[in-house]
Amino acid sequence: MTSTPRIELRRLFRRLPSGGRDLTILDGIDLSIAVGEFVAVLGPSGSGKSTLLALMAGLDRPTSGEILLDGRPIQALSEDGLARLRRAELGFVFQSFQLLGNLTARENVLLPLELLDSPGSGARADELLAEVGLQDRGHHYPTQLSGGEQQRVALARAFATRPPILLADEPTGNLDGATGRKILEILLDLRERHGTTMVLVTHDPAVAALADRRIHLRDGRIEREERSAASSPAPAATESAA
Amino acid sequence: MKPRTLFTWMLRESRGAFGRFAFFVACLAVGVAAVVAIAGLAAGLDSGIRSEARQLLAADLAIESRRALPDAFDLAQLLPAGSRTAAMREMVTVVAALPQNGKPGRSQLVELKAVERGYPFYGKLAVVPARPLSALLAPDAAVVAPELIGALGLRRDQPLLFRIGTADFRVAGEVSAEPDRVGIGTAFGPRVFLSMAGLERAGLIAKGSRVSYKTLIALPAGVPADRLEKIAEQLRAALPATEAYRVETFRQAQPQLRRSFAQVGRFLGLVALLSLFVGGIGVAQSVRAWLAGRLDAIAILKCLGLRPREVLALYLGQTALLGLVGSLIGILLGAAVQAAVPHLFGDLIPAALVRPWQPGALLRGLGLGVGVALLFSLPPLAGLLRVPPSRVLRRDAEPLPVHRATAGFAFVALAAGLLALTFAQTESLLLSAQFVGALTLATALLAVAATLLAKSIGRLPRFSSIALRHGLGALARPGAATVGAIVALGLGVITVLTMSLVERRISHELSRELPSNAPSAFLVDIQPEQWAGVRALLTRARADKIDSVPVVMARISSINGRPVDRIAAERKKRQEQSEEQGGNENREERGRRWALTREQRLTYLEKLPADNVVVAGKLWSDPTHGEVSLEKSFAEDLGVGLGSKLGFDVQGVPLTLVVTSLRTVDWGTFGINFYLVVEPGILEQAPQQRVATARLANGSEQHVQDLLAASYPNVTFLRIREILGKILGVLQRIGLGVRFLGGFTVLSGIAILAGAISAGSVRRGREVALLKTLGMTRRQVATAFAVEYALIGGVAGLLGAGTGAALTWGVITRGFELPWEAEPARLALAVVFSIVLSVIAGLAASVRALERRPIEVLRTE
Repeated sequence: MTSTPRIELRRLFRRLPSGGRDLTILDGIDLSIAVGEFVAVLGPSGSGKSTLLALMAGLDRPTSGEILLDGRPIQALSEDGLARLRRAELGFVFQSFQLLGNLTARENVLLPLELLDSPGSGARADELLAEVGLQDRGHHYPTQLSGGEQQRVALARAFATRPPILLADEPTGNLDGATGRKILEILLDLRERHGTTMVLVTHDPAVAALADRRIHLRDGRIEREERSAASSPAPAATESAA
Repeated sequence: MKPRTLFTWMLRESRGAFGRFAFFVACLAVGVAAVVAIAGLAAGLDSGIRSEARQLLAADLAIESRRALPDAFDLAQLLPAGSRTAAMREMVTVVAALPQNGKPGRSQLVELKAVERGYPFYGKLAVVPARPLSALLAPDAAVVAPELIGALGLRRDQPLLFRIGTADFRVAGEVSAEPDRVGIGTAFGPRVFLSMAGLERAGLIAKGSRVSYKTLIALPAGVPADRLEKIAEQLRAALPATEAYRVETFRQAQPQLRRSFAQVGRFLGLVALLSLFVGGIGVAQSVRAWLAGRLDAIAILKCLGLRPREVLALYLGQTALLGLVGSLIGILLGAAVQAAVPHLFGDLIPAALVRPWQPGALLRGLGLGVGVALLFSLPPLAGLLRVPPSRVLRRDAEPLPVHRATAGFAFVALAAGLLALTFAQTESLLLSAQFVGALTLATALLAVAATLLAKSIGRLPRFSSIALRHGLGALARPGAATVGAIVALGLGVITVLTMSLVERRISHELSRELPSNAPSAFLVDIQPEQWAGVRALLTRARADKIDSVPVVMARISSINGRPVDRIAAERKKRQEQSEEQGGNENREERGRRWALTREQRLTYLEKLPADNVVVAGKLWSDPTHGEVSLEKSFAEDLGVGLGSKLGFDVQGVPLTLVVTSLRTVDWGTFGINFYLVVEPGILEQAPQQRVATARLANGSEQHVQDLLAASYPNVTFLRIREILGKILGVLQRIGLGVRFLGGFTVLSGIAILAGAISAGSVRRGREVALLKTLGMTRRQVATAFAVEYALIGGVAGLLGAGTGAALTWGVITRGFELPWEAEPARLALAVVFSIVLSVIAGLAASVRALERRPIEVLRTE
């Protein structure tokens, strides 16, 4: 396997000043994620899961270390550069949905398409809403939708621009069991069809079990990794990829 | 991102924010309305005067003076063939009904105007019956204002006869409007028209009478416009080289009238601008509060790939859009006020002259409104650049502190922008700098005090009342809009309080009972030989404090041997140069020039009246020269001092006097006083008249006037109370207008306070819910809020009252040179008013938060 990893983290540290001394959130992470891979990140609260995700998305900046997307380091990019990168390459799904409350469901899905000035964005938004089963709810505002429906809109928005990478932060965390399973089903189905590389942060072992690989974080370090037996094209181990 | 997309986003971003934007719009609209109304009125009046200029002059050209044209002056020779001229005389005098049964008839002070055929060359007189004036004005006929008939007690079922001077006249018509009389509430009395022959018959004109002479000139049709100015120049050159004769063309369009309107307009424009700037504070606050509520959305947008500068463009665009809406609403409001005001203040503003359609004023409102919206939202918008996108993952990621440089730049831009906007409004750099400087100082003072208050509250001992404790705590909590609200409200209080205190103080000065030993009447134009009789008449009428001095009219011809005409010309040239170099119009300088060239009133006295104090030199101390004593500030205007030699032209006779003393005069005693007092023994033989003062029992003035009119019709009797009352009336109307404008500022202040409170309503809602969950009753919560708003109102009121009082003190003692009178009751009232307004506005804006059930609010968390 010589292809460049989709996401690569090298000796990644993130420290925050906290009451006079530094608090280490991430403590020297090395990680390589292959194109099309589905990685679950597990760990107790405060282990650094969300920060890891924020760094991969360029939402936060590392204290030291490197983040490479498709072999390109991103930590040196300007705010504008990061913004352009996100609009083209990254999709997000959040635990608390993060829909814009003053936009309708359809407008929320349209948003990233409009940012890219992509032609036929209206049709694309309708198509996505249909894919998540909300073709009739496009004119509704987030407050008029249930939690599960809101998250489906968020999924449609995340896949709107066919991003090569999807980052999901406990997407089922705020949902009841049945709704959560449904959302996960849609998410995995979309990923399958788009061939998206996905990093999913979760508490739920059952959800994590569906991933190609499971990274367990504790105190900002990778405690251990597990690879699913069924997982197809096994990417190179972290060490060999580095 | 395409502009169209940006625009769509802007509109979408505005959804669901109607209530909040309403405050933004209201803050702006109020100020814009004030600006537009004032600018519209000023421009409307100016363009009205310009477009009616020919009617207002009733001629193409006019020569005005205090004396008749020189006999040698051949006017016709200087004018193109076919020109028409009409002479005119104007004076103030007393007319009376005919005596009945040996008792004198009722008398009335009137404004007399004697005209020749042709008047008015332009414009229309509204006369009943509708015939030309010249046809009505036989030598024994007068055309009068209808109110004179009532004032003289004439009865319409009898022949309408009355007496002017020594002759009887019949009323041949009634006049209700004349083109060349612009009413500004300063008329002495009703109008009476006479023919020249009629004036002659009345026998009123004696040497030294106060008559103004005017010659109206109408050029033949087809004379080109540039000829007009040339002819005016030729006339000026041909007339004696003195400013005693003024040649005015209709193209100059009433320069004095327009100048005084422009001055009032400029002052009111500043007051209006202040209310717009106060509105700007509200704009800044509502933008800040709006953005605080949009942090999550901004983080999501950044997360989806919106660049920082696109975020800024989005919200700046939105602000501009709102500014546009606010300005448009303000323009509509202002235009409505502009249309209504001339009808409400008909006696101050010639309503018929105002041209209502003033696109310039509307554009000015639009520009200033959008400018203020953008400027004031710049500082809060600058914070947008630093919203961390990771807020989508961690709610607690607060906006990063704004770079010092960014914040500094925003405030410098704000200050420069304010200066630019003020300059656009006043067109005077000095005035703009003073205004912005004072505003900055007042704002800084209020802001510092408000910050200190918020800080010191934390150190207060704990109160046992939970409402009090909570209300106080709310003021000090981070993110509370305390400072902004106090500044805005405080500025409002300062404006209204200062305006009303100054106006009250001056009204009070004018309306208070005259000093007990002050005269209540002036008598002018008394012939020297009449004085004994007039005096006897006054004594019989139980008048006391009777005083009289001779008056000699003269012009200053030279100062220390140099002709004044040349000195005046030099001064004029110097001033024109300084104006060209960007200096401001210098009223003082014009006043000085006028002091040089105007007609002067001289008197001669052995002893000065008691209200005069010699401050330099000694009275009648030089046995070798004729001496003159000058009032100090008048001497400064002339540019002379002790030892200066003043040359006079006493109605053709030259005279040189030396200044040997300077005096100050207490004008407030209403005694007879003169700038120029001459040593006795010099002017006794000069043509002269006497003026007199007397104190009459209250209510006996009409009777004395009737007696005088019957026996001495050429004597003009002026009632001081009545004249002061008229001035007071005008002043009070102007004061009302200013307070009305100041009210805009208070309105802005309230809108800002309510806006600030309702902007925090989400946080407020949670707070109320939590307090209720913890067992606080609604009443307790409301009390806590009331305490908070009362404190805001109280502090703003106190600071505003203090600053306002200081400002008033400055204006009264420095500007008007009146003694200061503290008005603690007024100041206290202002504070109470500020507290009450603040509490009402605060509670009104919190109603929704108070009404909601705790569970609703907590559920959305």
